[in-house]
Amino acid sequence: MTFGFGNFNSFDKNIKDNGYKFKPISNEFGGSSPESLYTINRESCWARWRRGYELATASLYHNSFDYPFKYKIPLPTGVPGASGNQPAIPGVFRGFPTKNKELGVHWAGVRVAGSLRFDNVLDTNNVRASISSVTEDNEFWYVQLAGTWSSTNPLPAPLFIPIAGTAGIKPTNGEVIEDRIIEPEGVPISRATINPSTQTRYGYVQAVLADVNPNTGLLKLRKRGSVEATPDQVLVTPATRPPNVGRYFMTGTRYYCTCQDFTRRQYAYVSSLGQRSGPRFPKTGVATLKPGRYEVMTEAGKVANQAMTSALTNRQLEIVAPTVEYEIPPTTAATSSTKIGATRDNPGVFSDFGGVYLRSGADPSLPGARSEGLPDFEDYKAKDNVITSLTDRWSPTLDEFRYCKHIYSMKYEEGVFPPEPSDIPVEIKDVVAWEQNLVDQVEKDQEGAAANINRYGLAYMDIPPFNCQSPMMIQMMQKLFNIPSTFVKLQNFTMYDKAGRAYTPSQGGTPTT
Amino acid sequence: MTDPKFGDIVDTNFIYSNEQRAVRKYGDSEVQVSGQPATYHAGDVVHLPYKSTETSTIEAIGLAWSGYANGVAPAE
Repeated sequence: MTFGFGNFNSFDKNIKDNGYKFKPISNEFGGSSPESLYTINRESCWARWRRGYELATASLYHNSFDYPFKYKIPLPTGVPGASGNQPAIPGVFRGFPTKNKELGVHWAGVRVAGSLRFDNVLDTNNVRASISSVTEDNEFWYVQLAGTWSSTNPLPAPLFIPIAGTAGIKPTNGEVIEDRIIEPEGVPISRATINPSTQTRYGYVQAVLADVNPNTGLLKLRKRGSVEATPDQVLVTPATRPPNVGRYFMTGTRYYCTCQDFTRRQYAYVSSLGQRSGPRFPKTGVATLKPGRYEVMTEAGKVANQAMTSALTNRQLEIVAPTVEYEIPPTTAATSSTKIGATRDNPGVFSDFGGVYLRSGADPSLPGARSEGLPDFEDYKAKDNVITSLTDRWSPTLDEFRYCKHIYSMKYEEGVFPPEPSDIPVEIKDVVAWEQNLVDQVEKDQEGAAANINRYGLAYMDIPPFNCQSPMMIQMMQKLFNIPSTFVKLQNFTMYDKAGRAYTPSQGGTPTT
Repeated sequence: MTDPKFGDIVDTNFIYSNEQRAVRKYGDSEVQVSGQPATYHAGDVVHLPYKSTETSTIEAIGLAWSGYANGVAPAE
């Protein structure tokens, strides 16, 4: 018996059908709808979860393609420059060698935990926003932050940003936060940290920030999927107790990936380099061309979609919407404009599947959490040929997206690999043989991809931070950093080489050879 | 780590043994990975204790969003 591999839907090649090919809809002009089983297999979380584990354990843990960085956040014009320690986001770009991208590497991003700290959130009297009290109902904890808050002195940015004539925006909604800071300017505790006064471990609670009330200083934390580090140094979910009064929150680890699966996009293969035999210009079938928003990068008003630029060149993100009604709100993106007939296609850059897959729950998805099931599919809605709502990559918060195998792999390495999803693909006749094939194939693929990188990929693959304003990367930068894309400046990246030495590409710095 | 400094990693799941470092190479090629593993990893926790006189990361992100909402560009 042979077993299929390579695509998410091909679990058994004995079943012959064109529907096993990885494409959304093949019957543009008639024919039956794709069989639902193909969709279930192709889109299952289980397949990504299992492959993520394999990817992490096959080779990446030892041979990770990491580009650590520290990003200095630029301040708005007119704001005095920061003194002392500069405001910065630490993280790492993780390259996943792949055969499925012409430049050889999928880039994922990680903003490490502890980047944002609530001991730096102050009210107008400079009172730090510690956890003052907690109430709860069946679904949420309501955390009162210390300080004096009112409509005239609301929670500060980025928790809440007032915008005249609107309800304002709340960019931090959706962040995973943890009560791991015991004292102001203190060291974040770990699962193992012991309270010297009691000689027991402190423990902490992690939960998703669902909403904030800026006028009362109230944070709404979702209980579902919350995680508790117990005195036994074990993670349990949901948490059995609320966040600890008197502590300060900080943010947890944040992930993003630019692979086709996570972004729901197909790349354009227009390079004649490397493994590709020749240019393949992108096209989208007329019947699958959907109305919606697309992004372009511009430089001095001209489209500039190249993968990399110099570290001194900055491009602007522009989002084009079909009508004013569907322009991106300021919560999510920078410049937007309208163009009648705009579609989710950007010829020459990528063709878009349209629609997004979202996780079936809003859990942080840690060990012991509720198993994920089939993801939800969101797309635009129309009635009488009029679009009534648009859902695309700009709408959901980051952790609402269905994870790809790369994110699952990084979660494994973090030690927070989620439980087995419940949507195991159907029609696997022999899962043991399939898994053995997976193990062998992943090892072979990783060796092949790594060899290709060594052989010629390093000469032309796109490299952070020079690619951070490419159409594929800029969404990641904005969502990962949680800042407007206009504040993503290439010259503000400091990178770290393999010896841990810092260098700044925009100043001509290079890694140690 | 008893006295971590600003920017230090205070919690991580990436602790390589000498044996693990020794086997770091790309696939079946002879190319070896040298040097220490990267500075930051997925799942690291960093120590960023900004003083009240400094501009913290969370404050800077807030300033960026506020600046954007008010049409103010980042300083060069």
